[in-house]
Amino acid sequence: MADEEFDGDDAGDDFEEVEEDENLDDLQEGEEDENQTELLLLGEGQPVPVQKRITTPYMTKYERARVLGTRALQIAMCAPVMVEIDAESDPLQIAAKELRERKIPIIIRRYLPDGSFEDWGIDELIISDF
Amino acid sequence: MKEQYRETDVVRNILDIQFGVLSAQDMQQLSHAHVVSSELYNSTPGSRQPASHGVLDRRMGTSQKDVSCETCAKNLSDCIGHYGYLDLARPVFHVGYFKNTIHILQNICKICAHVLLKPKDKSTLCEQAKRINSYLQKKALYKRINLLCKKMSLCSYCGAQNGTVKKLPPLKIVHERFKTVKKGDPVITNYFSQFDTALEYNKELESQLSSSVIEFLNPSQIPLADLPLLCMDQQFSHPKDLVLTRLLVPPNCIRPSVISELKSGTNEDDITVMLTEIIFLNNLINKRSSGKVQSIQDSWEHLQLHVAFIMNSEISVPHDLSMARKSTRGFVQRLKGKQGRFRGNLSGKRVDFSSRTVISPDPNLRINEVGVPIEVSKQLTYPEKITAHNINLMKQLVRNGPDVHPGALFVEPRSTPGIKKSLRYVHREKMATELRQGDIIERHLMDGDIVLYNRQPSLHKMSIMSHRVRVLPWRTFRFNECVCTPYNADFDGDEMNLHVPQTEEARAEALVLMGVTSNLVTPRHGALIIGATQDFLTGSYLLTQKDQFFDKEYTCGLITSILAGKEAIYTVDLPPPAIMKPQQLWTGKQIFSMIIRPNKKFPVQCNLTTKRKDYTRGEELCSNEAWVIMRNSELLAGALDKSLLGSGSKKNIFYVILKDYGKDHAADAMWRVARLSTLFIMNRGFSIGIGDVMPGSGLLTRKQELLDDGYGKCDEFISQLKEGTLHCQPGCTAEETLEQLILKELSTIRDKAGKACVMELHKTNAALIMAISGSKGSFINISQMIACVGQQAIGGKRVPNGFEDRALPHYERHSKIPAAKGFVSNSFFSGMTPTEFIFHTMAGREGLVDTAVKTSETGYMQRRLVKSLEDLYVAYDMTVRNSTQDIIQIKYGGDGLDPTELEGNTGPIDLERALDHIRAKNPFPEEDPLTGTEILQLAENYLANDAFKELSDEFKDELKTFMEKFSKKVDKIRSRLSKVTGRKALPVERHIERLTFTQLIHFLNSCLDRYQAAVMEPGTAVGALCAQSIGEPGTQMTLKTFHFAGVAAMNITLGVPRILEIINASRSISTPIITANLKDDSDPEKARQVKGRVEKTLLGEVCEYVEEVFLPDDCFLLLKLAMDRIRLLKLEVDAHSIKYSICTSKLKVKEMDVCVESDTIITVRPSRTKASAMYYQLQHLKQHITQVIIKGLPSVNRAVINQNDTGPGGVCRYELLVEGDNLREVIATYGVDGTRCTSNNTYEVFTCLGIEAARATIIKEITVTMETHGLSVDRRHVMLLADLMTCRGQVLGITRHGLSKMKESVLMLASFEKTADHLFDAAYHGQSNPIKGVSDCIIMGKPMNIGTGVFKLLHSHRRESKPRTRTLLFDHPDMHVPLSLSGWS
Repeated sequence: MADEEFDGDDAGDDFEEVEEDENLDDLQEGEEDENQTELLLLGEGQPVPVQKRITTPYMTKYERARVLGTRALQIAMCAPVMVEIDAESDPLQIAAKELRERKIPIIIRRYLPDGSFEDWGIDELIISDF
Repeated sequence: MKEQYRETDVVRNILDIQFGVLSAQDMQQLSHAHVVSSELYNSTPGSRQPASHGVLDRRMGTSQKDVSCETCAKNLSDCIGHYGYLDLARPVFHVGYFKNTIHILQNICKICAHVLLKPKDKSTLCEQAKRINSYLQKKALYKRINLLCKKMSLCSYCGAQNGTVKKLPPLKIVHERFKTVKKGDPVITNYFSQFDTALEYNKELESQLSSSVIEFLNPSQIPLADLPLLCMDQQFSHPKDLVLTRLLVPPNCIRPSVISELKSGTNEDDITVMLTEIIFLNNLINKRSSGKVQSIQDSWEHLQLHVAFIMNSEISVPHDLSMARKSTRGFVQRLKGKQGRFRGNLSGKRVDFSSRTVISPDPNLRINEVGVPIEVSKQLTYPEKITAHNINLMKQLVRNGPDVHPGALFVEPRSTPGIKKSLRYVHREKMATELRQGDIIERHLMDGDIVLYNRQPSLHKMSIMSHRVRVLPWRTFRFNECVCTPYNADFDGDEMNLHVPQTEEARAEALVLMGVTSNLVTPRHGALIIGATQDFLTGSYLLTQKDQFFDKEYTCGLITSILAGKEAIYTVDLPPPAIMKPQQLWTGKQIFSMIIRPNKKFPVQCNLTTKRKDYTRGEELCSNEAWVIMRNSELLAGALDKSLLGSGSKKNIFYVILKDYGKDHAADAMWRVARLSTLFIMNRGFSIGIGDVMPGSGLLTRKQELLDDGYGKCDEFISQLKEGTLHCQPGCTAEETLEQLILKELSTIRDKAGKACVMELHKTNAALIMAISGSKGSFINISQMIACVGQQAIGGKRVPNGFEDRALPHYERHSKIPAAKGFVSNSFFSGMTPTEFIFHTMAGREGLVDTAVKTSETGYMQRRLVKSLEDLYVAYDMTVRNSTQDIIQIKYGGDGLDPTELEGNTGPIDLERALDHIRAKNPFPEEDPLTGTEILQLAENYLANDAFKELSDEFKDELKTFMEKFSKKVDKIRSRLSKVTGRKALPVERHIERLTFTQLIHFLNSCLDRYQAAVMEPGTAVGALCAQSIGEPGTQMTLKTFHFAGVAAMNITLGVPRILEIINASRSISTPIITANLKDDSDPEKARQVKGRVEKTLLGEVCEYVEEVFLPDDCFLLLKLAMDRIRLLKLEVDAHSIKYSICTSKLKVKEMDVCVESDTIITVRPSRTKASAMYYQLQHLKQHITQVIIKGLPSVNRAVINQNDTGPGGVCRYELLVEGDNLREVIATYGVDGTRCTSNNTYEVFTCLGIEAARATIIKEITVTMETHGLSVDRRHVMLLADLMTCRGQVLGITRHGLSKMKESVLMLASFEKTADHLFDAAYHGQSNPIKGVSDCIIMGKPMNIGTGVFKLLHSHRRESKPRTRTLLFDHPDMHVPLSLSGWS
């Protein structure tokens, strides 16, 4: 492995210093504008109203996985099941059945990069493939 | 048991980590013991009692099991350890902050300790420093201030003189205050006179006093206001703390003493030993404090070194001071490196519930299953909670106990959490009856459990997937061979690992995200990675041949092979036999169709029309059966091979099923094919023998002809070379040209021999069947076995000379004939001659060395890629961001589509196939077909709907052009038909290329659906995908590095070295090439002119001769120019311009000394004024004048005119390939079309054209390199990498230098490389590190903010709507009995 063997090859590093400084000036000029920092903080912790939601109406596979996992855990801890079950005993399968029937009492809070969030109920989302 | 992660349970959440420097007071406050004694144990013999106030004082915790801590009274496992401190007799430098200490001293005035800046700069910089909150900017400012301060020598505050501050090895700092002042200056004498009185009383001081004085500086003097200028945070670090006066003694538990079993006494940790040494030195200095100055100085130096060693034992020390130390491990050594704390313990940890054993294949297992040995399943457990649903099963498990397979090992009753009862030692029957809901059973692994399965090296996400368990007898892990490709596994003794997720959440995530069926497709280029292999392919190929007919018994026998598992209850519809008389016979294709779609109710209707590689002509009449049609899951034509069943292709049956019917159907179909083809091939029998590789007589004569022919041509070339008539290729010498010609000739011999032997072989030849079906081996392998092994290449060339002027002593010297340079004319069957064998082993060894070198190189590349890209993800607003929320891309890949979901080569859907599918699946026989114009009209109207606004413009355009093309085709076919027949179209003719209204709507809707499904899902770790998609194919690249760029003369580096160059953002690459388009690119003469302007031409190259001329009164150098040559090369020079070149060159010749005598003669006279003799000057001139550049760019060694025939109308177009750098000058050259010039050097392009051009170059170069190796990588991955490298406005390489300019997180950088440096820097700056990135979260054990971590879940209180308020009973007027009637009145 070629890593961790780097004593004395810092010569390349020194070359780059000069440009970096030029670069810094640019960055700082941009920052003089103080509105920018305030702008970023605007959405922090604020919910987005239902009509103004912009995120995808589809449930992502990450949301599906986490919702299923969380619900399966609840079921494993003896939470009341919201659907008719036949012989299934696996909490995960029961959770999957509940999700298919949109009976899972969970809201997904999607955070946008500015800190604001959108709340989506399971029944509002389109679940594409299963 | 592993604890579930539950956010609400966490009392404290680590948001960030604050780095800082401890002051002496802080250390004392942290400590519980003052350490002064250098003794480890009490001197009473045999007691082994740690000495109090010693390094092992029990107040600092304990390292033995039977002793408890004296501070907290807890035992070994519970006591967290406590610090101690020791006071140093003399202050010493902290080795980690040594560099920073020097920088500070350079920055401040050595008298008044104010920062050496002009007051004006000071205030602005101070403002800047205070405002900066980004770590990157802080580091940059630090460097800038240091540079500014170094230039200042006079302090603007007190006016004192300051010199340079330098490091003096090993750990001393020198201030050369009077370096700039001359000796004997009154300043110095004044300075020394200060010490006169001291010297009078203490003579010893004299030796300490020399011209360069070390001055003791008091760092606490630095004014607080100046701290921001040192980029320190006054709250967390102060300059005075960088010098140590006190040392923190770490707790005993991190440096345990081990009681030795061999000899009496204990083995102490390195740290303990070093601490005692320091205390010893301390005491020594204290004792000698009234002694000699020199001895104190020596001890002080030793103390300094010892304190440095405890921090970092790898610092370089002069040999005499190294004191014959054995290597010890300091704190830095504990942290850094692969086995260090960061990479070995924090980023990767040891796990429980895992197992490893040898793997073997089992085609009977389903795609997503893994066979687990019973023994293993009894050891691995899953903690299942008892609910009402599973209590009966759990009771049975408890009854079975630990030794019967579906059993359990432990029970953890709900009443006593944390206390597990082993079922081995309890009354199990009683236990079973006492089970309650909420108890936890640690049960055996059972069928259907979800486990993670992994094979190293884990190069991409498909190297670790979740399977379902099948508990089986015997001792190996087993899985379906279809899944070999993603793991890159074979069964020659490979071992694999298996991990059991321990929580419901982990199981769910593993199943949904990592399941085998969820990973059928690789994100690298969107093709299947799991598919039929080896025997499955051979079997399917043989079965689907057109001469395969089976009777009813055999047919039914084959079909029943799929009736297992969940398919056991399937009904199979036997189609009518293909041949009725004399016997009912079914074809292999029919059987295969039944496998894909067993009965009429089965939903899967697969539609696919494609051609295999060996397609000839005539569509389904192709003689190789290479035109494959599958309609509604019925195989109508064609034999199936790797491209249709295997991995790596998009025109694939399983891929089509996956896209149209989902992953489960695709996985099931794959399993059925595996079952069927193994059964078939086992019954049929398939083997390879010596007879399969025996060449026939026809082949032998053909081969001999080829050899004679090729050898003859080679001899011809060799004789041409000797005679000098060989026509040189541009930019090549005659020798190089010969090599290329011979190499080309010899490779055609092998190719032709290969083709001949494939032609010759019977189609039942086993080797041929395997090559055609794609299951094993290639045509080259066959021809090597049967006909001719071919040229053995080493480094891309013929075998080099290992002996004097020859490769082997069996041949003549300087022999260039094929056999002497490694051409093997024999086949493996006929056997090689001894010389051929040697050549073969040479080439074989090169291959082995290649692989060995490659693995480490690509492994490191992958690590760097992943480290730099790990935290990029798609945010919910579809931007690509890193963990600090900086935008890397506005929309992922420019269109926000997921490379995993793309069916077409660029778009998300293969439109043609989708339309065919819709038409075949839903015939709508009652509807009338549409005409071409109707189709176009309807499609355009429908596309204008609101729903289609979601489509990107590019895709919409693609769809529209497709519909236009289709409608034109429909019209054309129908009109042509009516033209030919000359009558009105019959109703039946309108059904050619039939498309009805509903079909069209179905098609357009499906396009919309599929497009929306192909949009990248927010939360996806696109960075990690990119790193893996570029790193993984890197391992497949051979190190064959060279390739010809257009012309044979121009080699460009390719393969792993080239990828490394690009992603390292190297300044100087090994083969820089500028492609310059010409303003007039049709005229070769003009091209040659431009070439002359660009190419570096030396004076020596255009001189006929250079002579010294000595005359009685004069001597000079006479240059005769070769005008013919100048004219030939189209050089725009004459004697005057050459004179100018000579004068401006480095030779320092005066203008008057150079004289143009005529058009062709120049004289140069040596200078008379110079001190050296004129003769020597003349010699010097003669030697160097030929090297004067008279035309062209010094950085360009060579320029080659490249001829492109691709111009319009077959006109030759010329472009210039320039070998070398300096794109700017090439663009500025007259005759070059500046707007169409590119270089392959990223850095060149960046400095010349800017950052966007650099980004485009990175994308282009990586794509080209990958393509030349036949590896396809989706452009989105390459784009993301290029965007990351250029997102800071300069090209940053994926190296430790680039990474530290890209990333803010200290922990991430520390876990990458240069661990200690980053930590010390962070402490110096008082940096706070928010725990947001992927590495940070892993180190802190928090879930990361990617994938399932980008959102949060809340409980949805579905409040029942309030019941309607009913009026009270007696509020109702009817209920009121009128008072008068009640009788009360």
